[in-house]
Amino acid sequence: MLKVDFTFDDKTYRHAMNGHESVLHCHHYMSLTTKLAEDFADVGGVRILREVAEDSIRPLLDSYHQTHRVPTGDERLEVGREYYSVMGLGEMEISGDETGGQVKLHHSHVDEGWIKKWGKHDRFVNHFSCGFAAAVFAAAFDRPARSYLAKEKASIVIGDEMTVIAVTQA
Amino acid sequence: MTVMRDQVVKALAKLEVKGNEDGLIPAFGVLVNQLPSSFWNMFAERMMEAVPRERKGEMESALVNCAYECGYHTGWGIINSEEFKAVVMPMVTEGAKDVLRGAYAVFTAWGWAKSGIVQIREAERMVVRAVDYYEMDSGGSGNRAYMIRGVSSAFFELAYADAYPDGMDTYTCTQTLGVECGDKFGEFVVEPKS
Repeated sequence: MLKVDFTFDDKTYRHAMNGHESVLHCHHYMSLTTKLAEDFADVGGVRILREVAEDSIRPLLDSYHQTHRVPTGDERLEVGREYYSVMGLGEMEISGDETGGQVKLHHSHVDEGWIKKWGKHDRFVNHFSCGFAAAVFAAAFDRPARSYLAKEKASIVIGDEMTVIAVTQA
Repeated sequence: MTVMRDQVVKALAKLEVKGNEDGLIPAFGVLVNQLPSSFWNMFAERMMEAVPRERKGEMESALVNCAYECGYHTGWGIINSEEFKAVVMPMVTEGAKDVLRGAYAVFTAWGWAKSGIVQIREAERMVVRAVDYYEMDSGGSGNRAYMIRGVSSAFFELAYADAYPDGMDTYTCTQTLGVECGDKFGEFVVEPKS
């Protein structure tokens, strides 16, 4: 079971999650950020969103694995899965090994937030979770950033029962 | 009595914000997430870096707009939520001004900025100052508080523009000072759009 220490600094009024500064936002902001990335696809907006998700989530995972001495890849994937839910991002099922694997999202803040805001869509929008999944696999198997490619194969936002992300070695 | 920011912040900050059995956080009429603040800062900075000089203004406006639209709808959810009614409304004695002060207290409790309203001329002008805000850590040069700008104009519209959802596009917010630029605090001025 993931150990999470939420703190609120009485002086700065900043939140932290296991010592990492965090902030609350809502599905409107996430949906608009996702759309902004798509609107600026010509300068690599979607790639940037995925990479930023990977790069900002990775330090939380690495420090958790070190602090709590999480030894195996399987256990580390589980840490990622639990963090995903704690952050309000949805319900994740994750499996795989150092060669890659699969992520299933039975609930997703990004997809369900998009639907709540704009309704169903005709293409995948869960770029954030692809970056998150890449971070979880890289942290689980001690690989550098961009070691894994995460690609959506099904999505709640287009009407599928769940979002499915395939993770492969880059 | 008027809205006591610190009292509201402490009451709201104590509420546990954590995913439910679906891994989602429904609150204030929206789905909430709690992410590392580095995610939002890094995204803004890398997007700004990615565009050529002649498109920096376009990107800046797009980043402000994300927060603006979010602030308008979420702000409405906040001031009509059970949480707001329970914690803030008992202190409201000055109508729209106090509701606005309460909305800024929630703004602070969410970890966006340690901020407060220093001047309100009803329906005309508002000045907000923040001594600490996560966007001041973004690392870019110049004023970087896109989120505070967007949310500030949205909150002022909720208080003084046409009733929700018809009040958008009435006010604009300019950042006049920034901790990220060496100033002691960030300052944000909301005025009618010209």
